[in-house]
Amino acid sequence: MSSTSTSTAHITVLYFAAASTTLGITEEKIPIPEKGFDLSQLKDLLVERHSRDNPTLRKILDSSQWSVDAEMVGDDEDLTKVELGDGVEVAVICPVSGG
Amino acid sequence: MLSPGSSVEGTLELPGAICSIKNTLDPIENTIEQVSDDRFGAVVTFIGTTRNSFQGKVVTKLEYQAYTKLALKTMATIITEARNQTAEFQAVVQHKIGVVGVGEPSIVIAVSSPHRKEAFHTCEFILEEVKRKVQIWKREYYEGEDERQAEWKSNV
Repeated sequence: MSSTSTSTAHITVLYFAAASTTLGITEEKIPIPEKGFDLSQLKDLLVERHSRDNPTLRKILDSSQWSVDAEMVGDDEDLTKVELGDGVEVAVICPVSGG
Repeated sequence: MLSPGSSVEGTLELPGAICSIKNTLDPIENTIEQVSDDRFGAVVTFIGTTRNSFQGKVVTKLEYQAYTKLALKTMATIITEARNQTAEFQAVVQHKIGVVGVGEPSIVIAVSSPHRKEAFHTCEFILEEVKRKVQIWKREYYEGEDERQAEWKSNV
């Protein structure tokens, strides 16, 4: 992936539950390309970014849902078609256990 | 204990219902008062509490986190779906975040309706949907085990 160090676009990724316990963080701000960046690419980017220290991350992300700006991404939705722009808030939604 | 910045208190009101995520749940008498309506003859309440064991292990406490802004939206959707089934009811749904000790309540649901059948049904419907969909997570701590190894549970 080409360098995004000059990118002015950023997204915030929120982690909860097992995702945050595994990574040791609850959120991070990530630079992204200004155009054409999708949720499938974000998933790969997060794995690339964190997997060395957190080998279980891929498995956690594979079993999680996603939300973008507090709207759930449907289970049947093609992640490559979910485009992410500057300022968006993405959350990793691990299997829930409320109640 | 990591606490997400998005796991905060919040309340969302819609016609005839109040959904809240709270650090401290209201006393049940207050919640009953909130749903009481002279037009309605039935009040049903559900209180979910922390059990002291799970699969033979002694539970010392539970910890809950929420993605509050989304959890509240999802609760509102559940209320709207309940209203498609039963037009007339008032509901209060409260979920606690943070530590919930053994015997302590984590969720309270109160529903009032003209008659008992709808009140029972609506309360159960809301509970089952909250457990299925709302963006809240529970971590279970066992006696004698390292807290850092405590597992986040899943309702599926």
